[in-house]
Parts: sequence; structure tokens; C-alpha cells
Amino acid sequence: MRELASWMRERGPQGDIVLGTRCRLARNLQDIPFPEAASREQLREVLSKAAGVTPHLSEMGPFAFREMATMDALEREILVEEHLISPSHMQNPAHKAVILNAERNISIMVNEEDHFRIQVLKPGLQLEQAWQRANSIDDLLEEHLDFAFDLQAGYLTSCPTNVGTALRASVMLHLPALRRVQKVQEVLGAVAKFGLTVRGLYGEGSDAWGNVYQLSNQITLGQSEDETLEHLARFTAQILHSERQAREYLLEKERRLTTEDWLYRSYGILQNARIIASQEAMELLSDLKLGIDLGVIPHGDPELLKQLMVQIRAAHLQSLMGQPLPAQERDRLRASLIRDTLQKQMGKTQGE
Amino acid sequence: MLCDKCGQNEATVKFVQIENNKKTELHLCRDCAQGYPSFTPGFDLQQLLSSLFQSAFLGQKSAPSVAAKRCPTCGRSIADIQKTGRLGCGSCYQVFQEELNPVLRRLHGSGNHTGKVPARAFPKVHAARQIEELRRRLEECVRLEKYEEAAKYRDELRLLEKQLAGGEAQ
Repeated sequence: MRELASWMRERGPQGDIVLGTRCRLARNLQDIPFPEAASREQLREVLSKAAGVTPHLSEMGPFAFREMATMDALEREILVEEHLISPSHMQNPAHKAVILNAERNISIMVNEEDHFRIQVLKPGLQLEQAWQRANSIDDLLEEHLDFAFDLQAGYLTSCPTNVGTALRASVMLHLPALRRVQKVQEVLGAVAKFGLTVRGLYGEGSDAWGNVYQLSNQITLGQSEDETLEHLARFTAQILHSERQAREYLLEKERRLTTEDWLYRSYGILQNARIIASQEAMELLSDLKLGIDLGVIPHGDPELLKQLMVQIRAAHLQSLMGQPLPAQERDRLRASLIRDTLQKQMGKTQGE
Repeated sequence: MLCDKCGQNEATVKFVQIENNKKTELHLCRDCAQGYPSFTPGFDLQQLLSSLFQSAFLGQKSAPSVAAKRCPTCGRSIADIQKTGRLGCGSCYQVFQEELNPVLRRLHGSGNHTGKVPARAFPKVHAARQIEELRRRLEECVRLEKYEEAAKYRDELRLLEKQLAGGEAQ
């Protein structure tokens, strides 16, 4: 099986609720139109500059420059499922590239909406650490590239919603208890008033499958990077507090049995299902993670959700089998992968 | 099969209702079956941006000279930017600065960048911003009575100020 990126295997700070942290910086080259307005020759020029600068990143570990057009469709889809590139970067691969590190937790998309989109992923809640790494990558790039920058407007971007710091910091939150007590909308609805935004697992327009939500900053102009991170951290702390309260509530004496019954039923389905669609699998794996994090279901690896939520996606399953699969066959394979993984992981820790 | 109620998620639950000897079947997703309509935020960003540009631009006296203005680097006009909600290149920000400022203020509540400055292109401003940021952190630490951390920032600040003064003297 494919080796998963380190941030998906490891547990980070506040890992019972925060699955991961991401910092993304948008940068554009001076005097070349943004990708949407650039000619083919100009896009090629950006690609060749990106390829040329890649070796200079080596002090942060080995990086590889890959043109999207040289990858097959499956390989591109796998990068989307691992959050290393955006769906739009996959769909139209011409004149696009990605610079990836060996650990698969740093990626630089080339010629997406902006010329460069630096992305750093970390397990758990690590806003400061993710920003520091993205910042260092940016420093290394800037030694060799002239970025479009204006003292008043900051880093210039194709979309005016990103201009300024061009920093988008996000935390990936698992909020099953708030969802169970039907308070997710109430809690997350408030964030919009404070310049933050909430999205589903795979970004804009995607659903919050498996109770995984991405909380990120909306404002990039008029705040420094540190202020943006502090603001996001403060709200994340508030949401963590609400989720933990909801978890305690679900374990109160009069509800504990109902909660245990719900979580064990989900566990039972995962252990026994013969066919399962990704959405149902995500929902049940979310229940299982909650069960393990609450200590209701003993001996489990709480990072199973993070691993399986990527491994059960279509492209990962197909790569496992080495061939394209019809949807029905994927559902069968998904169920069997989950059963095997649970038997191995849960059994292993149980035996210890 | 998609859920009969929300039409968005895969139906995983079948409801059979028998009323007056008449059988009706409903295929629902887990959310709708439990009565939790799934939480689906998201909106059309492009449309929103384009309407934001339109309302901001309409508020200004749109002299024919503005409509005819084109960015020399990428060739975009105000009408192009309005339509897509995107700028064509870095120079657009300068060329259409006047028209753009109200949009930026509405989007961000501010029109002025206070964050990172590229070190190689703007060495002096970069250092000045770093000093500003360290001062802010220092004050914050003093306010929160984190004196040990504050001392660390004070030392960093002194070093940086000394470097900056030295650079200017040369």
C-alpha cells in the first residue's frame, strides 16, 4: 500500500479534535500576468523559473518539480485526495506543475490561480509551526524570484480576497459531538462575523463528510500574519471548548448508554459491512474516532480516521488495485479495506 | 441513488410508509433520515466578487476615461475585472488603484498591508516591519506579564535596531 504522508499518520497537538493545520501563501512574479490572463509562453516562462528555483529549496529537504501534464489522471487525483493540490489544479493540467517534498507535507502549486501557491501541512494544531515553514520557503524563493508586491496592497494576487499577506491558514476540525447535539451551525455560524470561514473537507463547495470542517481566515489585508494566526487560534480554542463540552454532555450518566450504543453500532457496521460508499464510511469512521477519543471504544488507534479517510477515496483505492474500478467494485473494496485495517490495528493494540 | 429529500447525498436508508393500504417508498441519506439536514456552506465566490466590483465601481463617477483605461501589462479593462472578479496582473493593482480601493476595504475592512515585506526587494521596510512586529509582541508579553518572553523579544529588538542603524551609517 502507498505510504501515507506523515501528517496523516501522526497525531499532533489537540489531535482528538484538530486533525491537521495548513498554511498557504500565494505569490506571483512581477511583470508576468496572473495565470488566468497569461499567454502560453508566459505560463511556460513561469514553469521554467519554478523548475530552476526548485534546487534552492534543498535546505528544507529534497524537493521535486513535476509538470502536471506528465502525470497520469490517477496520480493527480491522489494528490488532491492528500490535499497536496486543489481539484482545479488537477482538472486542467496544461502548463501547471507542482513542487513536492519527499515527506509530502509541503507542496508548491505552480500556475494555479496564482503563479505560486506554497502549502505546508502539519498534524494537529500547529499554526505557528506551519506558518514558519511556509515563511521560510517563501524567503528561499524570494532570494531568486521577483514577486509582485506593493507596499500599500502587499503581495498581489489574482483574486482580491487574497491580496496583502496572501496567507490562508486553516485548521481541520473533527466536530462529531457538536454535530450530534445539532449545535454545529450555531457554533460555526458565528465565525463569519469575525472574518473567518468554514468549509468542508476538500475545500470550497465540498461537504463536511465525516464531521470534518475546515476553519480558515478570510481577511488578508490590514492584519499581519501573526495577528491572523492569533485570531484563528483564539477561535479554534473556543470551538475546541464547545466540542469538548458537547462530548462531556454525551457521556453524562443519563445519556452514556445511548452514546455507547450509537458508537458501538457504527463500529459494528465498519467491522462487518461488505459494501460501503465513501460518505457512509466517513460518517461511521467519524463515529469510531469519537468512540476511541472518548475512551468508549478501547484499544483503538485514534488516527485511523485520518488515515482511512484518505485511503478509502476513489483514487487511492484504484491505485491499491492498480486499475480503474467501477463504483460498485470500489464500494466492495472499501468495505474490505476497512475491515482488514480495523482487524489489524484494533487487534494489534488489543493484544499488547 | 441520491436522497429523495435533499437530492445531494447518496441515499442509504429506505423508508416504507403504508397509509390506507397505499405504500410509498422514500430513499434518504443518513442526515435527512435523522432529521439533520447536512451542513453545506459554500457560495459562488466569483458571482459575489463580480457584484462587489460592480457596486463599488458604480458608486464612482465613471468618466469615459476610466472605462477606456487598460492595464499596459495584461490589457485588462475595468469591465474585464468586473466580469471575472479577478485582476489580470500585479500592475492592475496600480492602474486601477482608485477603483479597487473601495473593493479592498469592503472585503478586508482595510486597504493597507501590514504584514510581511519581501526582504531582498525592500530591505529597509522589511527590517522596519520586523521591528514593529517585535514591539507589538513585546508589549503583548508585558501586558500578559510574560516577562521572560518579553526579555527575549527586547533583546531581538535591540539587535535588529542596531543592525538597521549600522546599515544606514554605511
